[in-house]
Amino acid sequence: MFRLLRTTTFRFTIVYVVVFAVAVALLGYLFYQSTFGVVAKQTDSILDQEIQVLSEVFSSEGAGVLRRVVRERAAWRDDGLYMLIGAPSGAVLSGNLSALPPEALSAGEGFFNFTFERPRLDAAGREIGIDTREARGKIRRFKATPDAETSFLVFVARDISTRESLRKRSQALMTRIGAATIGLGIVIGLLFSRTLLRRVDSVNRTARAIRDGDLSKRIALTGAVDEIENLAINLNAMLDQIERLMNGMREVSDNIAHDLRSPLNRIRGRLNEALKSSPAEKEEALRTTLEDAEGMIMTFNALLSIARIESGEGAGQMEAVDLVAIAQEMVELYEPAAQESGFILQLKTAPAPPVRGSRALISQALANLLDNALKYAVGGTTIRIDVRKGSENRVLLSVLDDGPGVPEAERDSVLKRFVRLEQSRSTPGSGLGLSLVSAIARAHRGSILLGESSTSGERRGLKVTIAFPAYDKG
Amino acid sequence: MRILVVEDDNEAAAHVSKGLREAGHVVDHAMDGEVGLNMAGAGDYDAYVIDRMLPKLDGVTLLSKRRAGGDETPALFLSALGEVDDRVKGFKAGGDDYLVKPYAFPELLARVEALGRRRHTAPSTVTTRYAVGDLEIDVITRTVRRAGKKIDLQPREFRLLEYLMRHAGQVVTRTMLLENVWEYHFDPQTNVIDVHISRLRSKIDKDFDTALLKTIRGAGYTIADGD
Repeated sequence: MFRLLRTTTFRFTIVYVVVFAVAVALLGYLFYQSTFGVVAKQTDSILDQEIQVLSEVFSSEGAGVLRRVVRERAAWRDDGLYMLIGAPSGAVLSGNLSALPPEALSAGEGFFNFTFERPRLDAAGREIGIDTREARGKIRRFKATPDAETSFLVFVARDISTRESLRKRSQALMTRIGAATIGLGIVIGLLFSRTLLRRVDSVNRTARAIRDGDLSKRIALTGAVDEIENLAINLNAMLDQIERLMNGMREVSDNIAHDLRSPLNRIRGRLNEALKSSPAEKEEALRTTLEDAEGMIMTFNALLSIARIESGEGAGQMEAVDLVAIAQEMVELYEPAAQESGFILQLKTAPAPPVRGSRALISQALANLLDNALKYAVGGTTIRIDVRKGSENRVLLSVLDDGPGVPEAERDSVLKRFVRLEQSRSTPGSGLGLSLVSAIARAHRGSILLGESSTSGERRGLKVTIAFPAYDKG
Repeated sequence: MRILVVEDDNEAAAHVSKGLREAGHVVDHAMDGEVGLNMAGAGDYDAYVIDRMLPKLDGVTLLSKRRAGGDETPALFLSALGEVDDRVKGFKAGGDDYLVKPYAFPELLARVEALGRRRHTAPSTVTTRYAVGDLEIDVITRTVRRAGKKIDLQPREFRLLEYLMRHAGQVVTRTMLLENVWEYHFDPQTNVIDVHISRLRSKIDKDFDTALLKTIRGAGYTIADGD
């Protein structure tokens, strides 16, 4: 419960409730002013008029007539209350109130509110109880001349019980509406907070589970289309990436273990043998050991490069690069070697937009593909580099050969580390070339596709295509 | 050459020192960055070989301090960190070359000797003509002559020859050629450089009695007159 009160949602709700309550209070005040406020002013002006009329009666007709007029008015028995008191004697000369209310003494010439008691009558006019009623009145002292010895106190008031009870009921209603607004706001806030807290808790639970080692945990999606769902989707995508990287690391260490253990064993065996053999054999053992060590270093370097590229290192050096220029430079580097191996190296380009990438990495990928073609396109005659614009704003870089190709079923697996096709076991190589290319393609948010370079004939060859997204200035 | 090797791996340092001494150099060894900094300040060396990760003071800081003090002795960084970022940091600190571990010793030797050479050619006089035996090149007019006879080279072949001529008498490795002539920092698995060299050789050596462009087994190439 206390956690609920501390949630951001709840705090927001409280702010909204306060703002809303202030708005309701303001509305209530305006409503009050334009209804009861106006009525109260009317009452006051009626009282002022009555006193004005009585004052005129007194000044033109004298005290006797005033006394009669007051008696007549008091006898109407509507909501008007009157008293005429002689001063300094204090005798009540006429009126329908038995005594001056005590509030009158402190009110001076101004308006004052007071209560008075009035018998309640039934339909037949019999007294059945006493009502305490509210009224508002004003007192004025009349003098015939400024220095006259006697004066008269005229008290005029109006019964405002009906109005006052209506006002009180309205006020109570307003208060209840206000209280309900605040109460409802808080309850809704708590409910919202609880819903939100549950979803955040689900994120937290997942995070804890992952911290405890279960990398496969994902945040449960509710199917809602909102920012929390979005957050969950993004977090899940991030977790996917982390898991992929972790698996990659594990795979790397497994592979290192696998690929380096056998040469290490070989070296140990050979050196053991060499200890017991002739100098000439020792020398031979050392020489082959050196070769093994060099092979291991190559494997190790390739694995490290792949791991670094996959971890996104070097993404900082990405800039707009022209694949055609990179391909031209690479053709220039490889052309003599290709020729010597009996291949014709061709470059076929079509106008293509620049891509966002690293010249070094793309050159390396291309070099690996050319190395592969020279090594594995046995019996082929032509290697072609193809640069052109693809669909969906992509630029395609392909290397095609007319060698034996890769059987369709094995195309996915050759992209994985250390996978080498059976027939290529005899040629040297780490089995890491294509996975390095694949890692470079991923680092450029591109994709790699293996296919056939021709669709007909016995020898279909291999076509490796990397699709790079075109450079986007944004 | 007097060479200072700053390397905390004793065995690696011993291996490097021994190899450099066998090649005729005088070698001092420092075990950590602070000792290395003091020794560099005390001795007059022709080249530094500095490991990037050292106890007490890392290699990049060490060299930055020497460079700030006006020391222009060429330096080569050894590092297990080989990516572009790391190279750039090394060069920014004043490094002249960068070699990633594990490396083959001939590669290190070739690079250190190339650095020493750089120091001995006065920086104020820019050499534009090089000659080895009866082979001459002019880098301004981009012409190559052997025994007075003009030889036509492709632009890249010219840059290859130019690099070899600048380091005449020194061993130049395949990786050095790939880095300096083609500006690539990876090792192709195919013998691409060898084929370029043999093409160049067919143009400058084939029709003449003495071969100037020689293959050094297990290391690389050198261009030199005589043996």
